[in-house]
Amino acid sequence: MSSILGRVVATERRPNTPHEFHFWTALDSPVGIGTIVRVDGRDPVNGVVPLVYGVVTEGFSWTDLASPLHDVMGFDGSPSAESLSQTDRAEIRLYTAAVLRHMPEEPLQPVPMGTVFLADEADVAIALRMDGYLKPGARTGIPIGVYRAGGTDAPIYLDADFLIGPEAAHLNISGVSGLATKTSAVEWLLQSIFTHFPVQKGSVAAVCFNVKGPDLCYLDQPGEIDDADRSLYEKCGVSPEPFEEVQYYAPYKSDGVSLNTLRSNEALLDNVTALTWGLREVLQYAEVLLNKDDVDAKADALIDFIKENVLDKRFVDQMLERPHTVTSFADLDAWFKDVLRALEKKDDQSWRTHHVATIRKVRNRLSNISLRCKGLVADDGATSDLPFGSFQDRTVYVIDVAGLEEDAQDLIFARVVTKLREHLEKRDLGVQHVVVFVDELNKYAPGDGPETYVRKMLLDIAERGRYLGLVLFAAQQFRSQVHRRVVGNSGTALYGRMDGDELATPGYAVLSPAIKTKLATLEKGQLMVRHPHFTQPIFVRFPRPAVMRGRDGVSRYPAAQAPSLHAAVLRTLRTLDPSLTLGWLQDVTQLATDDEILRARNDVVRTRPGDVRREFAKHFRAAVAPRTAVRPDAPLPLPAVPADDPYGF
Amino acid sequence: MAGFRGFLDGTQRSVVAAHLHGVPVVHGTAAAVIRERRNRRLHTWGLPLVETRVFAPREALTRQEWGALTSRFPGRLMDTTDGDADTGSHPLALRDAAFHRVQAHREALEQRLAERWCATESDRLFVDGGISGSETVAVSTCTVGVVKSHRTLYAEGSALQVILGLAHRERSSVFRITSTRRTTVASWYLRLRDPVGRDPMWGLVRVEVANPDSTQLHSIGDRADEVSRWILAESSPLALPDARWDKMVYAIHDCEEFLRAVAG
Repeated sequence: MSSILGRVVATERRPNTPHEFHFWTALDSPVGIGTIVRVDGRDPVNGVVPLVYGVVTEGFSWTDLASPLHDVMGFDGSPSAESLSQTDRAEIRLYTAAVLRHMPEEPLQPVPMGTVFLADEADVAIALRMDGYLKPGARTGIPIGVYRAGGTDAPIYLDADFLIGPEAAHLNISGVSGLATKTSAVEWLLQSIFTHFPVQKGSVAAVCFNVKGPDLCYLDQPGEIDDADRSLYEKCGVSPEPFEEVQYYAPYKSDGVSLNTLRSNEALLDNVTALTWGLREVLQYAEVLLNKDDVDAKADALIDFIKENVLDKRFVDQMLERPHTVTSFADLDAWFKDVLRALEKKDDQSWRTHHVATIRKVRNRLSNISLRCKGLVADDGATSDLPFGSFQDRTVYVIDVAGLEEDAQDLIFARVVTKLREHLEKRDLGVQHVVVFVDELNKYAPGDGPETYVRKMLLDIAERGRYLGLVLFAAQQFRSQVHRRVVGNSGTALYGRMDGDELATPGYAVLSPAIKTKLATLEKGQLMVRHPHFTQPIFVRFPRPAVMRGRDGVSRYPAAQAPSLHAAVLRTLRTLDPSLTLGWLQDVTQLATDDEILRARNDVVRTRPGDVRREFAKHFRAAVAPRTAVRPDAPLPLPAVPADDPYGF
Repeated sequence: MAGFRGFLDGTQRSVVAAHLHGVPVVHGTAAAVIRERRNRRLHTWGLPLVETRVFAPREALTRQEWGALTSRFPGRLMDTTDGDADTGSHPLALRDAAFHRVQAHREALEQRLAERWCATESDRLFVDGGISGSETVAVSTCTVGVVKSHRTLYAEGSALQVILGLAHRERSSVFRITSTRRTTVASWYLRLRDPVGRDPMWGLVRVEVANPDSTQLHSIGDRADEVSRWILAESSPLALPDARWDKMVYAIHDCEEFLRAVAG
């Protein structure tokens, strides 16, 4: 049993309540803001001595001075005179603690006078109600870090039922940028989830959107951690290894040749897949890219008409010059041209109730999409997508959108998340739970501004995702700028070091000034955790994720130079057939244009044929087989001049 | 280590608990404590003494009343008329007599603690008040009494002028205080704070130490200087917010705060 740390005290001015109490300690006690303590009551209630667990939320210190002026006078106004003083003034350390739990829970009474002890590991489990989900056989605890105070090192567990669902779900993390907290914490937590997610709850995967820099580009590469980190890993029962299974997806750059990602080093391309979508994929999410103010109901009607009657169908109209089968942006543009030409020919203003101006506007907007999202959207309808339907358990799927325009980021985000939702609804995604990690949430789900498709979708996930197994892990610098229904539906909230201005916003009014001060000065690797089982915020330490940091990865695996078209195509095809050579590719494509080569590549990547050589070569005209030039035989010698030739000389 | 290690002070609280046909019955609490300085912090030495008594004039009460009080407060009822003081029957005089008994009780507790210190410790003890009440304490070389009140002045005429004219950190010459009921001690006045612009008693204390025997007589001046330096060293930190902070050292203020907490 630990030694007595302090004593509960209550005065008329500062009484104890069922939710808050005060205690004093010796000056050298190891108590600080966030320390968890246990109060042993003096008098039994219903035959049971009450125990109360609390977390320190405020601290006070004062001396017996009535006025600071008295101290100034005592030292003749000279601070250096202190050493002359033989005695230090009497001083008090008084702490306020918020109640975490009463044992027994009924009757709920004000905290009794009693002795205060530092909570040990078992106390912490009881105080935070973790004992309810750490039972052998029904364990659903996911370590989030280690609570550390006064020699106590206690792992803190989140309840998987309240982190991944179905009871509650979602996680929101806030903190200032540049302190390696938000992304690191999520990487660590994903490692912890993959290690501890209960078998009985099924499978889990993660989809991470890399929205800036190389943050998430090296999750499968080992990073540097120190002994302190290793001890935290050991305490939490997580292996300090990088993620075993990571798949990367990135669209092409606008040249359509090289991938738009910092993970383009040759040595790391094994698990990098191009992300390209065709007309069908994009048109489903047209409203993500089309400005509502710009595209009115009439335009919407035409887009619906195209989706219903034109896309992927043989479209025949007497007025048009020819039948159309629209599968790509190029086909769609040809269809628009035909329609507009027909209208001009007839000198008509409308076609099938759609006004010519509307048709022109929609053509303009849709054609524009392939330009704005060049690299992602393929003109030829080629699609290379995430493996919806065959997601693997404990696998991270990283979609690198860091180098994309905002529109393209929105499109990817909207479509991927919607597809995840659709597959989870149908229970055919391949896994039962998916964690979607989104950084910069205040950009995607701002508290103010116009209603966007992405925000609506995030709200939908936040409010209904937990029933499906679709879990949102979101991060942002300023929680106050995120839509309150999104953050409000996050069962778990993590806070790294916070900005003072942010802490001054009303959302943090429930925190004591001392907690705010601690939040404003948190070290790297420390978090404040709010979780449905914890009645008060708890501070924990978490280890550095055992993955390579982005900037280390960039220097160790520098991004590849922009390759030639042939080299880029070969690199892609080699993932399907490593025996291919550059010479073969050049021979096959010597008469082809760049677009034809890319189209062939996209087709092969999409269909993944058994015989890559033959299927790729089928896209090109056969070239005449080269022949070695042979010197012709020497001409026969001229016949000799007849002797009787009258013209001979 | 030079200087004081222990600081002794006592408090008393007197309340008229009841009047029995005009005769006051006083409830008195006396307490004393020694606060020991360790590493610049003050801690309680041993156990503090806290005792409550009920004081009443037996002669002014009926036998039944006295009997009732005795049975109600066995061992704690004190007769304020058992001495030679003639308090008469005036209720206020009876009350004051009781209050004096409470004060005497406090002095007794202080002496008891001081004697314990002298019996077990060799370091110096700063006693708030005089030391001549107990012979054991008065002859000990480890006790120094510091008197803040000057109801009795041990000088007159030009000597008084010298004392009232003492400047900051100055002391008077050492003189001997003898009394038939108290042990003889050596004493001197010491100015703890600058009296300029203040009343003549500002920062003035009287120090009592054991009366030197003939072998120590020649060095009593040196001893007075040494003890005065110890006391002056205690003038910081200030004993504010106590109103007597000019004469009170901080550790004695701390004793009073302690006793206020444990004895009320």
